[in-house]
Amino acid sequence: MDAATLTYDTLRFGEFEDFPETEEPVWILGREFSALTEKDEILSDIASRLWFTYRRNFQPIGGTGPTSDTGWGCMLRCGQMILGQALVCRHLGRDWRWIRGQKQKEEYFSILNAFIDKKDSYYSIHQIAQMGVGEGKSIGQWYGPNTVAQVLKKLSAFDSWSQLAMHVAMDNTVVIEDIKRLCMPWLDFAGAAAAPGLEGERELNGCAEGACALAGAEGEAALWRPLVLLIPLRLGLSDINEAYIETLKNCFMLPQSLGVIGGKPNSAHYFIGYVGDEMIYLDPHTTQPAVEPSDDGQVPDDTYHCQHPPCRMHIRELDPSIAVGFFCHTEDDFDDWCMRIRKLSGSREGLPMFELVDSQPSHFTSSDVLNLTPDFSDSDRLERFFDSEDEEFEILSL
Amino acid sequence: KMPPSEKSQHAKPFKQRKSLATRKEEVAGIRLKFPTKIPVIVERYHREKYLPSLDKTKFLVPQELTMTQFITIIRNRMSLTPSQAFYLLVNNSSLASMSLTMAEVYKDNKDEDGFLYMTYASQEMFGSCTECTAVELSKAG
Repeated sequence: MDAATLTYDTLRFGEFEDFPETEEPVWILGREFSALTEKDEILSDIASRLWFTYRRNFQPIGGTGPTSDTGWGCMLRCGQMILGQALVCRHLGRDWRWIRGQKQKEEYFSILNAFIDKKDSYYSIHQIAQMGVGEGKSIGQWYGPNTVAQVLKKLSAFDSWSQLAMHVAMDNTVVIEDIKRLCMPWLDFAGAAAAPGLEGERELNGCAEGACALAGAEGEAALWRPLVLLIPLRLGLSDINEAYIETLKNCFMLPQSLGVIGGKPNSAHYFIGYVGDEMIYLDPHTTQPAVEPSDDGQVPDDTYHCQHPPCRMHIRELDPSIAVGFFCHTEDDFDDWCMRIRKLSGSREGLPMFELVDSQPSHFTSSDVLNLTPDFSDSDRLERFFDSEDEEFEILSL
Repeated sequence: KMPPSEKSQHAKPFKQRKSLATRKEEVAGIRLKFPTKIPVIVERYHREKYLPSLDKTKFLVPQELTMTQFITIIRNRMSLTPSQAFYLLVNNSSLASMSLTMAEVYKDNKDEDGFLYMTYASQEMFGSCTECTAVELSKAG
C-alpha cells in the first residue's frame, strides 16, 4: 500500500500542468490577479499559503495509535490549512509572503509550531483526531467539513496566543448578534434574550475573562476578538446545484475570504480560489515524512509550502458538502463583510448559499412553544378520512 | 396494517409509490379538511449514512411556521446535537432560507401534485483509500 502511495505521489508531482494562459481573472483568497502578466505573483501567493499534507512517522496518536494519516487525514489536513490561513491573516497579514530560504519572522514559526505533528501543538493532527472523539469520530475515521470545523472551534479555546473567536454557523444561517456577542463578550447585550447554547459557546471560546485580559494586553486595539467564521453547507445532494456556482465563486472575491474546505467525492481539498470555471486548490494527498522542529523553535519548512503550480478542477466536480471560511480581524472587517454579503444576496446573481440575519428569531428559544406531539383530535378526524393502509399525516400545531 | 418499523423504511421515494392522480387527490382531500395547513413530504436522502430516518414522511404544517421552527422540530425528533450537520433541501436541490415561512416556501416550490418535497442529509465524509487512488490514477492517466 505504501508503494502504491509513493507511485501515486510521484506521478502527481510529475503531472502538474502549468497555470493556464487566460484573460479571465484569477481570484485567490480575495485578491485578483492576471494570468497573463502576474504569473509569478500568483505562484508566490500560492507558495505562501501553508500546505498541510499527509505525514508519516510522527508520534503515535494517543500514545498507541497511528503514526501516519495517509488514507484518512485529508479533511483534517484541510482544516489545518484553512485555520493556518486564518492564523497567517491574524499574525502576519494577507499580503505576507514566504520566500524559500529567507529568514522568517518569529510569528511565522509560532504558527507552524501550532500545526506540527506533535501531541501538544494547538492544532496538530493528534489534537484534531483526539478532539474528534467528542464529535463521534474515532481516531482514523473520516471527517466532513463540519466535523473538522467543530473540532477546530473547540481547540481554538486553548490557543491563548491567537485569542480567536471561532464561530461555526449551523443551519446555513449566520446570526450577526451571535457573532458580535462572541467577538465582544465584554459588551452588555442588555434586553436581548440569551439563547440557550450560546452560553456554552462563549465559555468554550475563552469567556469574558480572557477577553478582558486581552484588552489589557493590547489596549485600544482589542475591542474585537479576531473572528474565524466557518459556514458548513450542503449545496445539493449528489451534485452541486448549478444555481450556487456564481455565489460560491463570489466567496473567493471577498477580502475576508479564507477559502473553502471540501473536495471531490472521497478526497478532501483546500480551495483557495478560481479561474474561469476551475477551482484552484491545495491537495493534502501527498505523504511526506514528519518534520522535527529544532531546539530553537525553527522548523525546516520547505515541505509546508506548495512550490509547484497548484491543482485545478472543474467547479461542477465539487462535492456539495463544503465549509466556507472568512476572517474578520476587526469589527469594521465584519461590518464590511455583512454589507458585501447583503449586496450579493440582493443582486440575484446566483442563489445565496446561506442567510445573514440580525438576530436569532425569538420564537426559536424554547421547543415547548412548539407542539411536538401530534394533535390527537386532528388525528381522529384523519383516520376516518383515510383508509387503514394509507400512511397518516403527522399534524404539527403551533 | 404495516408495522411502524417498516413504515419508515420505504425503499422507494413517496413520489414513486403513488401515481400523480392519487397524490393530487390526497392533497385536495387534506387541504379541504385542513385549509390552513401545508402538506409536506420529508424524506431522507437515499445515500445518507449518519442521520436516522423519521417515523413519518407526511406532515401537515401550519403555514406561519418558519423553516427555523420546522428544522428545530425535526432536529429534536432525531435527537441531534446543535453541532451536528443537518440540511433540508427543497426539491432535492436548494437550501431553504430559515427565516421564510412554510407558506412562502410552499408558494415558490410546491410540486404539481400539491405537496412540498424536502430531503434531508448531513455532510459527506472525506478520506482516500487505495481504490480511490486507483480511480484517481486512471482518471489522470
